[in-house]
Amino acid sequence: MSQSLRPYLQCVRSSLTAALAISNFASQTSERHNVPEIEAASSPELLLNPLTVSRNENEKVLIEPSVNSVRVSIRIKQADEIEHILVHKLTRFLTQRAESFFILRRKPVKGYDISFLITNFHTEAMLKNKLVDFVISFMEDVDKEISEMKLFLNARARFVAESFLTPAISAGTDQILC
Amino acid sequence: MAPQTPAVVMDNGTGYSKLGFAGNDSPSFVFPTAIATRAGAGGAGAGSRPTVANKPSFLGSGGGGSSHLSTKRGTEDLDFFIGDEALAAASGPGYGINYPIRHGQIENWDQMERFWSNSIFKYLRVEPEDHYFLLTEPPLNPPENRENTAEIMFESFNCAGLYIAVQAVLALAASWTSSKVTDRSLTGTVIDSGDGVTHVIPVAEGYVIGSSIKSIPIAGRDITYFVQSLLRDRGEPDSSLKTAERVKEEYCYVCPDIVKEFARYDREPDRFLQHTVTSPNGRSVTIDVGYERFLAPEIFFNPEIYSSDFLTPLPNVVDGVIQSSPIDVRRGLYKNIVLSGGSTLYKDFGRRLQRDIRHLVEARIRASEARSGGARSGGLDVAVVTHKRQRHGPWFGGSLLGQTPEFRSYCHTKAEYDEIGPSIVRRFALLGGPGST
Amino acid sequence: MLLLDYENVLIRSLLTERFSGAPPASLDQIVSDFDGVTFHLSTPETKTKILISINVKCFRELVQYGAQQVLEREYGPYIVAPEPGYDFSVLIDLENLPDDQTAREDLIMRLALLKRNAMAAPFERAFDEFAQLAEEASRYTSESAPAGVEEGGEVMSIHYREEEAIYIKASHDRVTVIFSTVFREETDRIFGKVFLQEFVDARRRVLTLQNAPQVLFRNDRPLELAGVPGLEDSGDGKISYITFVLFPRHLTPQRRHENISHIQTFRDYFHYHIKASKAYIHTRMRKRTADFLQVLNRARPENEERERKTASGRTFRVQG
Repeated sequence: MSQSLRPYLQCVRSSLTAALAISNFASQTSERHNVPEIEAASSPELLLNPLTVSRNENEKVLIEPSVNSVRVSIRIKQADEIEHILVHKLTRFLTQRAESFFILRRKPVKGYDISFLITNFHTEAMLKNKLVDFVISFMEDVDKEISEMKLFLNARARFVAESFLTPAISAGTDQILC
Repeated sequence: MAPQTPAVVMDNGTGYSKLGFAGNDSPSFVFPTAIATRAGAGGAGAGSRPTVANKPSFLGSGGGGSSHLSTKRGTEDLDFFIGDEALAAASGPGYGINYPIRHGQIENWDQMERFWSNSIFKYLRVEPEDHYFLLTEPPLNPPENRENTAEIMFESFNCAGLYIAVQAVLALAASWTSSKVTDRSLTGTVIDSGDGVTHVIPVAEGYVIGSSIKSIPIAGRDITYFVQSLLRDRGEPDSSLKTAERVKEEYCYVCPDIVKEFARYDREPDRFLQHTVTSPNGRSVTIDVGYERFLAPEIFFNPEIYSSDFLTPLPNVVDGVIQSSPIDVRRGLYKNIVLSGGSTLYKDFGRRLQRDIRHLVEARIRASEARSGGARSGGLDVAVVTHKRQRHGPWFGGSLLGQTPEFRSYCHTKAEYDEIGPSIVRRFALLGGPGST
Repeated sequence: MLLLDYENVLIRSLLTERFSGAPPASLDQIVSDFDGVTFHLSTPETKTKILISINVKCFRELVQYGAQQVLEREYGPYIVAPEPGYDFSVLIDLENLPDDQTAREDLIMRLALLKRNAMAAPFERAFDEFAQLAEEASRYTSESAPAGVEEGGEVMSIHYREEEAIYIKASHDRVTVIFSTVFREETDRIFGKVFLQEFVDARRRVLTLQNAPQVLFRNDRPLELAGVPGLEDSGDGKISYITFVLFPRHLTPQRRHENISHIQTFRDYFHYHIKASKAYIHTRMRKRTADFLQVLNRARPENEERERKTASGRTFRVQG
């Protein structure tokens, strides 16, 4: 699996780096406004072709570039309903704290689990390559976190079940003793 | 969901947590807001770092791959104690004590979540899905903290409904039991003095006037230290902190005038008392209890006898707080000064406070009358309310409001939370405000 | 905390305090316990007489299965007429306690276990019924046994919560205890499934648990409950049925007390741990969020060049 992960991430990295060629651009439709064009979508000529990088049907990244903003949406791998609920919980937890994440979009784009919105103001204030690094490491870590949480849940369930049944074991041993 | 389950009222303070059910006159449990966790795992939030290969011993489940072998591990998040048990566990090896609440606000959410979990399941023994919860928060609590609280209460515990009330407002509601209070208003000044700090909080119509809140760095602990230093100065055979605390709680009172009180002690020697301390090994010593009986609480009124950097007496602080509040509520604030917390329980504390504030107010009125050249003031009513529930004032107020039939309609329910999300708890309708019984 | 206590901590600590000779004080508290049980602790007449009343949702059913006898056995001399609104009351006179310290502690413990004892009746009856059926069955070979013996006793249902119930059925070689439980939340349902699967597997996987009761779980109605009225199959899988099969070795008189207490806590234990896991997952997510933020903050350049100062505190500001 990790064989295909590396090119996948590499591809996202280079596509995203290329897409981040954005610059300040005032709104054409309303005076003295400066909005992320990818969100406003009011002038088709300012939007570039969206691009999907897909590892398989469950894991893909949608990059939607425009003249002054890029929207990156990630679909996180979810093999079963446990992973599904964990992904849901985690992304909800993160978006709840979107304030401190600057580039995190409060709502994911439809069909994806989490979205980032990077505007020219972000790229001006922060290092572009490090922003890309963040998105990539996010993608790596989120998978790791989900599978660890799942392992934890299973381990905990096992432990809980065994502990509950353990006092009943003594039932057996008692009987042997009596 | 049984409709008649009593609401759970939890008042988590910096020092002590008060837990119980609405409708009762006292909390079922009062214990320190402390949690003892396995040393080392405590601060890091029970080892959730993914890279734990170098210390696999007790961070099993965090290590992902190693968890097959460590089914019995990875449970360090269940290995903790709260309250008095935490203090006991921390005195032994292996556990470290933590206080998740600092200065009234929750600092460590991981620990607080576990503290709540244990409070609910071990002590209160309720299924949170069946009960509504009333929690308290300090004045000026950031809304994010409320959201985090709601996230825990609703997502982890699935509690049926939640109301978060400001402690000062609940303390006002608690004063309704006093016979002196007739109009059940939620306007008043709350003097909340616990162990660590004393707050003076003006509340108008159930809303805290945040800009006028004042804190005084003198509270219960300082009184204890002061008693201790007096005992030490006299060379009493036992001057431990614990003894000082006992002396403070059992013998101290507020006198109207210290100079006269000193004279009285000289005239009436029976005012000097004896206190017997029995140490755990069975030995008992007798110590004398003298002037500290009235001197200790006096540090509220004459801080200069104790502290060198904070010198404003409590009555002046209260007066200042009310004067800095909007002019249209000042009359209500003077009329209803409510005491709350353990350090306001000294005999005659309220009476002395009332007298001193009244002096200040009257002096000001006279001065302005003089300046205006003959105009007469209608006078201003100053009343300090003392009542029986002062010690656990906010909890009792919560219990009082939590048992009202309309309480549930003021709560946000789990369904509403699921629909709207944590931001729902940024606003609560005012419980006990106008229009409710 | 791993296992839940069987007794009510509040009653225990309160009585321990009162029994130890603390000055009597008046008391009037209504407190809850798991499963919608309500206690009322009060001192209606004098401060030295503590009245403890319990309200159990399914008391009528419990009485049907012999709760009155069980409670009479446990609390004989202390029982008084139930307080209005409650199902059962005991009155403790502080001036008339057993002199012996251990007897006092035993009394405290027994009172703290009031809920457990009230709920124990159907279990005890099933255990007795089992003994009786086993006796009968031993007289027949498996082929010639009359139908009644083979099928076992009636199913006793205890609707101890609004939507959830315990069903108990005794046969000649086992006692089956079935819990029905409801998950109102998607997360809980999925977590619950993981947990229940482990309950089912634990016995098979771990050698030392071979003697534990067999656990089964399913989302539709188990065959044992075929004839029980008032049960509709919910197609959405919200209701789960967990079956514990207690074998003769669990039913010996020596183990009886402990096992009844233990199995009663199952539902709350199970729900408690689902919640505790969610709390732990929150802990993880908080940590992870902090990690992500750290990575993101690396993207912020450490620009503001610190004002450089000489040792004496002067700066090199260019005069403009």
